[in-house]
Amino acid sequence: MKLNKNYLQTFIFVLVYLFAIYFWSQPYQERRIPYGEYDAMSHFELADYMAYNDKSFSQLPPYIDIRYGPDNKFKPHTLWYPPTFHASLGVMEVIGGERVLPVYLMNTMMVTFIIISVYFVINSLFGFLPAILSAVLLIFSPRDFMPYLWGQWPERFGYTFIPLILYCFYKYFVSYSKGESKPIYLYLTAALAGINLLVHPLTFFHSAAAVAVLYIFLSIKQKKLIFNWKHASISLIIFLIIFFSFPYQTFNILPQLGTIRTASGTMIKDNKQFSFGRIFQWSLDPKDYEGSVPASYFSFREMDGLWTLPFLLLGIAILCWRREERDLLMIAWLVSLYLVLHRDIIGQASFLHRSLSATAHIFVPLTAIGAVYLSSIIKIPENFNLYLKYALVAIFLYLTLFVAAPYARQYLNKDIYNPNSINGKLSYDFLKILTQPQFDAAQWILENVPDEYNLSVLGIPHEPNFLPATAYKIRWSMAVSQHVSRFYYLLDDRDNFTKVNYVMLDYTMVGPTGDEKLFNSMQSFEKNMTGHELVYDKNRIRIYKPNGI
Amino acid sequence: MEFKIKDKGFAVFLLACLLVILIFSYALFGMAGLRVALGIIFVSLPFYFILNNFNLEEGEKFIFSLVLGITIFPSLVYALGFLISFKISITIAFIFLLIVAFTMPKIKKKPNNSK
Repeated sequence: MKLNKNYLQTFIFVLVYLFAIYFWSQPYQERRIPYGEYDAMSHFELADYMAYNDKSFSQLPPYIDIRYGPDNKFKPHTLWYPPTFHASLGVMEVIGGERVLPVYLMNTMMVTFIIISVYFVINSLFGFLPAILSAVLLIFSPRDFMPYLWGQWPERFGYTFIPLILYCFYKYFVSYSKGESKPIYLYLTAALAGINLLVHPLTFFHSAAAVAVLYIFLSIKQKKLIFNWKHASISLIIFLIIFFSFPYQTFNILPQLGTIRTASGTMIKDNKQFSFGRIFQWSLDPKDYEGSVPASYFSFREMDGLWTLPFLLLGIAILCWRREERDLLMIAWLVSLYLVLHRDIIGQASFLHRSLSATAHIFVPLTAIGAVYLSSIIKIPENFNLYLKYALVAIFLYLTLFVAAPYARQYLNKDIYNPNSINGKLSYDFLKILTQPQFDAAQWILENVPDEYNLSVLGIPHEPNFLPATAYKIRWSMAVSQHVSRFYYLLDDRDNFTKVNYVMLDYTMVGPTGDEKLFNSMQSFEKNMTGHELVYDKNRIRIYKPNGI
Repeated sequence: MEFKIKDKGFAVFLLACLLVILIFSYALFGMAGLRVALGIIFVSLPFYFILNNFNLEEGEKFIFSLVLGITIFPSLVYALGFLISFKISITIAFIFLLIVAFTMPKIKKKPNNSK
């Protein structure tokens, strides 16, 4: 049996991709506890509700509605995203047979799918070396894993579609122009675009811009416009079927156009003035996003690495100079990114910074192409040319593994979102993420507290210096317990609320944070509590239920 | 429906990839990880059979069936989940998509037969 080169190359890619899964899954490899910022909670909640309760839903349950009720402007109090992404996580929760790990593992698989799609497209058009180099470097792209850690999961997955949609459209256009029409590629373009819209509208608009630019570029190159009524009509029907499959959610996109989200989560009309100077800038001004995104997110040096710049510029120069059809696909992809990053020129500034997170998907393959093709533009004997090519590949891999990877490990490692003490010291995440005893208590609530009861919580610090972090903790408790949980001391009608609802006293945090005042008030509260009965007492967490139920 | 393993090498390659993925998933994530890996194959398989009816390259069929499997399959499960149990919907969706895959060649051939 002869070893097939294609199989071997694909096998190498499979190993690279599995390493990507290993690297990106570090935060939950040892702990099976949900983590992440507020966005992550909402995605976990939606997927988990379907799987755990064994039913689909459109109307939001109270513990989700309390925050996301108004987010669907077209049909308030219903799902604000089409269910495609979350149903996928839910299906895997059912198949995986656990609540947390399958959701997070499936999410990791989906958000790293961009590595598969970039490898596939680059391998198909430019060969194995640029493709595998792109795949390896993308694993360590901070602008990809940072939003993943923050919880912008569907958007990350949405970017997967851009290269695939471009590839399908390219294959249709090229085959059609050569008289070997393959309409299946246009139908796939339409189907993928429709699914892209269901996954995340922002990435859909990016895909649409990319296809439009590619169409223009290929038409100029071929000096003809290609259009077939039959193919276009069938494709439109495919797209519309997908678009109308979840109308409450897809129509929610329209009211959001031209708006921006404030820190409190409300949407306001974006009146930001576009400055002319922006046309000549690639990135955005970090000052405009202070408090929500770190300044490093806007830095090429920190996100891409300065070492990539010469290869990147070379890659762009080679493709612009050569301008083969496959080169035009890459240039169209790059131009479309520039366009979506400057859409504020037409008053569409919402989530502008998020489009920046699509940078590596085109920069990285261009960088790899620059490195691999550099040898071919230097006039030296053919043998030396080959040596030079492999030497450049080795340099590229060295810089990826010894510069990009260590930098990435600072952000993405096993200790991130770890609520337990690290080397005897309490981490900031101790305040934010549920610990195992807190997770167990939330799970008990889910299994034992009737749906119509809420929880009044004492023990999770609620003072202004703790609140920004511990509000996460309360929300995660809600997500796992599927019940509304409130800080007792922040309730306006705390006595009435507590009288008719369950009470949770969590003593696990008052010790480590040294909050003696809170500890004393909890003890006094517990001593004077009447009308409640102790029903859970484990790991220094106690839950009381109102008498008579 | 025509579905043939092209050659022995292709079959060995597929098995090797599958084995590595399953061992990796089990070693790192335990039984849940293994089930997720198998689940991804499960949801993608009907789309591979559907795409097998079209003139696509092998790599394209793999990639697009994965994408369709993790998006269209769960959307179908979600829609069915309003009528029946979400868990049962997974099986029903799988069977439905397999039926589509296996009846597609017959529908495609019909116009030729009627000529």
